Amino acid sequence: MGFELLLQNILNPPVLMFLLGLGAILLRTELEVPQPLPKLFSLYLLIAIGLHGGYELSKSGITFEVLKVLLLAMFMAVAVPVYAFFILRLRLDVYNAVAIAATYGSISAVTFITAGSFLNSLGQSYGGYMVAAMTLMESPAIVIGLVLLTLFARRNSNTGVNWGEVLREAFLNPSVYILMGTLLIGFLTGEKGWKAMDPLFGVLFKGMLAFFLLDMGIVAGRRIGEIRKVGLFLIAFGVLLPVFNALVGIFLAKTFGLAKGDAFMFSILCASASYIAVPAAMRLSVPEANPSLYVTMSLAITFPFNIAVGIPLYYFLINHLWG
Amino acid sequence: MKKVEVVIDSIYLSRVLDVLEKAGVSGYTVIKDALGKGERGIMAGDELTDVFKNSYVFTVCSEEVAQKIAESLRPLLKKVGGACLISDVLWLTH
Repeated sequence: MGFELLLQNILNPPVLMFLLGLGAILLRTELEVPQPLPKLFSLYLLIAIGLHGGYELSKSGITFEVLKVLLLAMFMAVAVPVYAFFILRLRLDVYNAVAIAATYGSISAVTFITAGSFLNSLGQSYGGYMVAAMTLMESPAIVIGLVLLTLFARRNSNTGVNWGEVLREAFLNPSVYILMGTLLIGFLTGEKGWKAMDPLFGVLFKGMLAFFLLDMGIVAGRRIGEIRKVGLFLIAFGVLLPVFNALVGIFLAKTFGLAKGDAFMFSILCASASYIAVPAAMRLSVPEANPSLYVTMSLAITFPFNIAVGIPLYYFLINHLWG
Repeated sequence: MKKVEVVIDSIYLSRVLDVLEKAGVSGYTVIKDALGKGERGIMAGDELTDVFKNSYVFTVCSEEVAQKIAESLRPLLKKVGGACLISDVLWLTH
């Protein structure tokens, strides 16, 4: 892999802030970001990415190209949890396999945002509809996971899945709701709307991302101790499945003729694992699964891997294929 | 009078409150962020999703109501973990 690309990615303030947060825990400093603030930052990032995506979408309009990307996104959101589940079943019980498969079938908005910032630093861009694709990819994995659960788990009748509650959690969870809403606002208000929002949600964006990633580093660092308990199989899974998913994503993007920037963002969506929407839904619907497995894997293994190695790796491959 | 204390995964707080309401308590107190350690490991409360966060609820009621609460909570606690304690208390004013 191009060493320069790796360096270009690491020498990006947000990524360095993530490592700074990680280091703070490993070196046992008392550094912490006061508790409600990370929630504000995450809300800010979702609003910013939604508004900007909506604005970009209003410029490009909803074309055949856009629909193609959205369909591909839906396809991967359904396919990944299914094959992930069968791989996991080689070693795990149904409950943990469902929870981890759903986690990897969904996406991480912060990985997407960090990848976008990397792409911008290379002077390239991606279509605003990728944000719509991201929103579409959040929820299906939760539903697929629960379908797998009803098919494969032998539960007592009184502990069955409450579908109303689960569907609500899948499609109306806060991050999906705010992304959909701001995407629509950005789309409806167009250029004028974005100009008004730009000072807060555009200019300050990278700084806020850096601040948020500092906290992510701290949270990931706290979970690093749990990695030992996860076991070698799942550690390997947490690194290899994202790479495999990215390769599938890149293959599909090439086959269906996606533009370079879009292909890169699509591969990142395929490779990333959820640590916000899905864990909350799984806690509610699959309490038998162990959250210190699925949260640790997505937060302390896959997220850092994607941020540090995955982003330049997938870009390297795409750059090679697209030229 | 009995004091009923419940520590439960935050996500299930609303279900516990439902049980209290249905059992007919006159009021309750909730502390939303209850951190600690239990059979499911450390609940540090630092996750964005509140996956590792507990909530604490207590109420004071008659023995009969306390029994009702205990019966209704047992299946939930068995399924999702958590703790329910019932003790004798003196209610100073009402």
